[in-house]
Amino acid sequence: MNTKCISCGMPMTKAADHAAGDLAKKYCAHCATPDGSLKSRDEVLQGMSMFLAHSQGLDPSAAEAAAREMMSHMPAWK
Amino acid sequence: MPAIADPPARQARKQRTRELLIAAGMRLFAQRGIAAVRMGDIARAARVAHGTVFLHFRTRDELLAVIIKQYAGAAALRIRELVEEKADLRHVLAAHLRGLAEMEPFYTRLIMEGPSLSPVARTALLGIQSAVATHLAAAVDRGVRDGSLRTLPREMLFNTWLGLVNHYVTNRDLFAPRKSVLTELGPKLMTYFLSLLKP
Repeated sequence: MNTKCISCGMPMTKAADHAAGDLAKKYCAHCATPDGSLKSRDEVLQGMSMFLAHSQGLDPSAAEAAAREMMSHMPAWK
Repeated sequence: MPAIADPPARQARKQRTRELLIAAGMRLFAQRGIAAVRMGDIARAARVAHGTVFLHFRTRDELLAVIIKQYAGAAALRIRELVEEKADLRHVLAAHLRGLAEMEPFYTRLIMEGPSLSPVARTALLGIQSAVATHLAAAVDRGVRDGSLRTLPREMLFNTWLGLVNHYVTNRDLFAPRKSVLTELGPKLMTYFLSLLKP
């Protein structure tokens, strides 16, 4: 099983990658709220921006611009 | 009226055409540089009608982003699997180099033209780099916990490694003319980088 999160594009290769460990969910655990529903667009944007900024040391505004660009192609946010 | 699905044979042909376009695109981008290649060039190289290309990819940059995600994304996934299997940092770095070496001519063009790439292509690469950076950091964290590695700020760890790799790739004609610089000098780069992380 190898699908991608419809919110952030992360590859999901096992049940734990999916929201609430549910293979039927098309979004990943990082894009889910504690009750397993999809986070809001702003929450996902913030999370993705921080991921880009912290992992590579990007300037926060550049990271947010990159996150917006990525999300514009995602099925959950088109 | 409900949409009628393509019969399997037609679907297979469409998929085959898509694969031909991706392969041709990667080959041409590597040979001529990314900015110099047009969709018409890719169509001709793949022996596909010009109009057919646009049934699969709306723009050249969309095709470029797909190529980046397919090849670099596959390498990032292998790295993630290694980290989940608790492989040590040397094996993770080696997997990174192998993944880049498999697309070395194309990757060379990507990093040399990086700042001038379209946003869709540049962010495709950025996203995958962030995934690799996170996986590398997880491998280093394990080494720090068992005392075999010293700690470094997460982003500096990745940027130092990538800076080293990209310098050799960009100047591959000087370091390993007519060869894969990552295959020839990868072990040396890993050994040096790992020595920097020794406690």
